[in-house]
Amino acid sequence: MSESISSRQSPENERLIRCFASVFPSLSREEILTVSSDSAGNWDSLSTVTLAAVVQEEFNVEIEPEMIPELNSFAAFQNYLERAGAGK
Amino acid sequence: MKLIEALELLKRPAADAPRLEVFLACGFTPLHVQTFLAAHLIAAVPGKRPHIKTGLFGDLAGNLERLDPSGIEALAVVIEWGDIDARLSVRSLGGWRPAQMAAILESADQTVARLRKAIEALSSRVPAVVSLPTLPLPPLFSARRSELSPVEAHLHRTVASLAESLSRQPGLRIVNAQFLNEISPSSARYDVKSDVATGFPYTLSHASAIAAVVAGLMHPPSPKKGLITDLDDTLWSGILGEDGADGISWHLDHHSHMHGMYQQMLGALAGAGVLLAVASKNDSGAVDRAFEREDILLSKSDIFPIEAHWSAKSESVERILKTWNVGADSVVFIDDSPMEVAEVKAAFPQMECVVFPKGDDAAIWALVRRLRHLFGKSVLTEEDTLRLGSIRAAGALRDLDPSAPGSADDFLKTAEAHIIFDMNPAKDDLRAFELVNKTNQFNLNGKRFSEAEWRSLLSDPESFLLTVAYKDKYGFLGKIAVIAGKTQRRKVHVQAWVMSCRAFSRRIEHQCVQYLFESFAADEIVFDYLATPRNGPLQEFLGEYLAAPPAPNASLSKDQFLAKVPELFHQVEGAVNV
Repeated sequence: MSESISSRQSPENERLIRCFASVFPSLSREEILTVSSDSAGNWDSLSTVTLAAVVQEEFNVEIEPEMIPELNSFAAFQNYLERAGAGK
Repeated sequence: MKLIEALELLKRPAADAPRLEVFLACGFTPLHVQTFLAAHLIAAVPGKRPHIKTGLFGDLAGNLERLDPSGIEALAVVIEWGDIDARLSVRSLGGWRPAQMAAILESADQTVARLRKAIEALSSRVPAVVSLPTLPLPPLFSARRSELSPVEAHLHRTVASLAESLSRQPGLRIVNAQFLNEISPSSARYDVKSDVATGFPYTLSHASAIAAVVAGLMHPPSPKKGLITDLDDTLWSGILGEDGADGISWHLDHHSHMHGMYQQMLGALAGAGVLLAVASKNDSGAVDRAFEREDILLSKSDIFPIEAHWSAKSESVERILKTWNVGADSVVFIDDSPMEVAEVKAAFPQMECVVFPKGDDAAIWALVRRLRHLFGKSVLTEEDTLRLGSIRAAGALRDLDPSAPGSADDFLKTAEAHIIFDMNPAKDDLRAFELVNKTNQFNLNGKRFSEAEWRSLLSDPESFLLTVAYKDKYGFLGKIAVIAGKTQRRKVHVQAWVMSCRAFSRRIEHQCVQYLFESFAADEIVFDYLATPRNGPLQEFLGEYLAAPPAPNASLSKDQFLAKVPELFHQVEGAVNV
């Protein structure tokens, strides 16, 4: 049985952490797990679009443009990918 | 390259690495093209930290017209149809009625003229790469999509005319649409959702492909210099020793046409100044008879040397490299025998060694195309066509017995040598820039320059550029040396000095120093010298005058020079353009 993406040790979670690290290189792994657009000073509209593009390419999922504003934290991306079945 | 890989590459250069200032001019949101361009530049120019500036959204022509190129080292212009007329972009709702087509064409012609003027003006000051529209035109024409309408043909002609005009500009390179088609299929380029949502029209794969080609044209790898080919079942079909000169073939009626195509490509490379040699296990007389055939597409005069005997191929290759005086990393070796290829590769790991895929037309076609890529040059210079002749002459010079009394003096005295100095030629002298960036052995410090760095060096009012051409009774070598530096009062500071290995053993380097002392009325020359793993000939030359191994900022006085300069037999001609 495959692990949920929200499991801290799952390969999918590691891939998502790598996506965040590529866009926010100054964040540590622990900081990434709790990051949100409110807590990260450099999380702007450009990084939102870049992050969405990286995640779409890495997880081979389509993120609708209207969804992008809601993807404002690591947890939000985890939940989105979980719902999209990317962790299965 | 994936976007995550590009973003991770951006972290690689050290924070204190020198910046590579690039301007990306486009009318769409630069977004991922900017990221990919930076990443591909990091891969192409290790040690530099690309810093890419962009302009305003939706105003490509204005961005170019407003751009001050001072401090910019390279310019990338990425044009899409919407930059030529906004109605050709999906994001614009300006109307696609047939009655509007004439106005669209008129506006497109005007904008292209504006773009041409702006790009030409900028490319005279900063190296530029231009990518012409790569996305499909929107379906605004009345014909079916499968049919070319006159309006669409007009737009394509307008862009083709822009490409043709810009491709003739020195310092400007155009992305080849056919090459881009191969690495980025046209049906997988446009991302309408991204275009509408963010103004970024490309799929990630297409953005990466464009950025890769643009970065590759901004900093192209040095072209290979020489090709060593086998003969049997490679240059021709058949075994010369068994089939005889009349039994080998390269024609359609013998099902050996692709060998003829290979010959044709080698002939084209030879004409462009690529050195060709043969390494073949064969009887040399039989090889001579084969090259006497009237239908052969590659002349024996295109090839030097021909190593035809029964010794190991690696021995032949070693002699050829010595004759050419080039490094193994600048040479491609081609042979149909995997064993021979492996033997040469083991002896010369840096050499590109290729198995000729006899009997596989598609693979030979791919090889021929690859050769064009490996040896490709933006512009051919006069020196490219002279290279082989001068190597033959150099071979004659090397064959002299150095122990014979006065032999070098006697040879040089009767060589009828002329040295032509040109002080401060045009700053866009392509040959000078090329020589500085490819010469290894007689090179003052091994420093390579970007086009922008070279222009910057020469723009200093105290700087000078001296080019040196040479001819003797054996032929014209063309421009073979370049010296760049500064002068202050009676002191010359040489910052770059290179001389082609084809010009060794003619005392040209001594004449160069004499010319510097005389033309600047100097008492001292300071050399911006650095030892490199390959500049032994330069070290030896300076060491003889200084009576010690040279050190950085080595200084040579006029008295030191005059005390040791050997007899020089050249006729000197000098032009000073100030």
